Amino acid sequence: MSKPEVPLTDAEVRRIGRIIETLEASSFDYLQLELGDLRVTIAREGVVIPGALAPVTATAPATPPAPATPAPTDPAPARAAGAATTPGATAPAPEPGLVDIVSPMIGRFYSQPEPGAAPYVTVGAPVEADTTVCLVEAMKMFNAVPAGMAGTIAQVCAQDATLVEYGQVLFRVRPA
Amino acid sequence: MIRRVLVANRGEIAVRVIHACQALGCETVLAASEADIDSLAARMADRTVCIGPPASALSYLRVDALLAAATGTGCDALHPGYGFLSESETLAAACAREAVVFIGPTPEQIRRMGNKLQARALAREAGVPMLPGSEKVADATEAARIAEGIGYPVLLKAAAGGGGRGMKVVGSAGEMPQQFAAASAEARNAFDDDTLYLERYIANARHVEVQVLGDAHGALVHLGERDCSLQRRHQKVVEESPAPALPETTRHALRRSAVALARELAYCNAGTVEFIVDGDSGDYFFLEMNTRIQVEHPVTELVCGIDLVQEQLRVAAGERLRYGQDEVLLRGHAIECRINAEVPAEGFRPSPGRITVWQPPSGPNIRLDTHCHEGYVVPIHYDSMIAKLIVYGHDREEALLRMRSTLARFRIEGIGTTLPFLRHAMAHPDFAAGRVNTALVARMIEEMKAGAPLAA
Repeated sequence: MSKPEVPLTDAEVRRIGRIIETLEASSFDYLQLELGDLRVTIAREGVVIPGALAPVTATAPATPPAPATPAPTDPAPARAAGAATTPGATAPAPEPGLVDIVSPMIGRFYSQPEPGAAPYVTVGAPVEADTTVCLVEAMKMFNAVPAGMAGTIAQVCAQDATLVEYGQVLFRVRPA
Repeated sequence: MIRRVLVANRGEIAVRVIHACQALGCETVLAASEADIDSLAARMADRTVCIGPPASALSYLRVDALLAAATGTGCDALHPGYGFLSESETLAAACAREAVVFIGPTPEQIRRMGNKLQARALAREAGVPMLPGSEKVADATEAARIAEGIGYPVLLKAAAGGGGRGMKVVGSAGEMPQQFAAASAEARNAFDDDTLYLERYIANARHVEVQVLGDAHGALVHLGERDCSLQRRHQKVVEESPAPALPETTRHALRRSAVALARELAYCNAGTVEFIVDGDSGDYFFLEMNTRIQVEHPVTELVCGIDLVQEQLRVAAGERLRYGQDEVLLRGHAIECRINAEVPAEGFRPSPGRITVWQPPSGPNIRLDTHCHEGYVVPIHYDSMIAKLIVYGHDREEALLRMRSTLARFRIEGIGTTLPFLRHAMAHPDFAAGRVNTALVARMIEEMKAGAPLAA
């Protein structure tokens, strides 16, 4: 829940996009950049960055560690390195054996039934096929999303109150 | 000014709208179904969001999905393109509720023109000539009685209609019961409304429409007319501007009528008033008004030099038109051919699949509006139009010559296309002479099948 309240400006998003393109064309594997308060790490797929955060699997719900695209909560157009065209591209890479719960529709993701309430599920929570794991809202219509399988929540991949696309990965479940 | 636009459509019109946004410095977010997530428009847009599965009923026709996409990405406006929800009062009203500018007319204007019977009443008030016809007819008996007064043949039409669905020609009183039943069933299926009305049927009919453009401050201009008589099963195939071989008195009267109707509505944004012109008498009659940008808008753009989609954005943002009627200059001639992924030799059956060769012609005064490229897979889920080829010339003869040579140079492989038919149509002596009517395409197809050489 601790996404810093520093929405990127469109100009910043464009600058980051250019940096990514430059990196792609170069022979470097990764690039770390600090611009005032903004810290960006951009890396090729599969590259391990010395001293960087490990992929988030245990702390939830959390922002994934700086992938090649700006945070999914940013409402600004954020097209970078082709990643924005793949729903769920910003979620951390899945562990083998985990099953995705994807959004059945485009809308706003809510992890809890109402503000201040406990989330429907957190990492480690057991779920049945009909357990509600979150709400997705479009035009004031709240749609409960069921887990669709029995197991334990292994990852929470979407941030509360942000836009999720059709087909975007919301949770990953370790099947029972 | 508008800052960020949700492009709520696909195909070539999504590309077209993104071009207009780019020219005006607006950012774009494309609302794409799963099938279009890697489309050309998706690559051009600043951001793409997936709004649903390929079936349009679950994506492009979902008002809630489009509004969630618009508000969730911080868009302050939405362009609906054509087709899908472009003439949906519901979408326009939902945008207004969410403080998203709908790039089109007001919900009220969409509603008043959407119902064909209401539109006819309004046109009558504006003094626009109407085809002799009826109000709503209850059943076949009443229809037959009214038809006696109008004189056979008559045309049965759906009040909610469009695209030729729910439309039947009735040649005599004996055919009425059967055709009435067929038309109302079609109308019920297509529009969930089986209300029918009657019109006199014109045998030598031309389809001529006038482009209008209004702002929110009461200014309104026309941008000339387009002839769209070349139609196959009520779908336009070739369009041109200005309309050829039209008496000048008819041309000016048409334009005046279109402006009068749009004024009656205080119409804001781009719209098209469609007329049927009796090719024998020169009389013209109101058909309907389309409250959206149309597929064939490029021919108008080429003869008036005004970018219609950019104008849509400007007036939607509250800007005033920057020119009066006197400053609109129409010059030259433009022709558009719609290229579809269909096989003309096999009854125009749809031909989706991968485009293996895509070599479009280019050169001065040639414009190609398309979302296709080599390697693109034409999906099975949507309509078959893959490109619009538009050419300009200083007169019709020059434009037609250019269209013929341009079509001859266009190479598309991997899928079937309507290029062979279009080449045939553009070489047809009746088209060259401007002897066009809504039955000409059917005749061209018959002649092509028979393999008859075209007379010079």
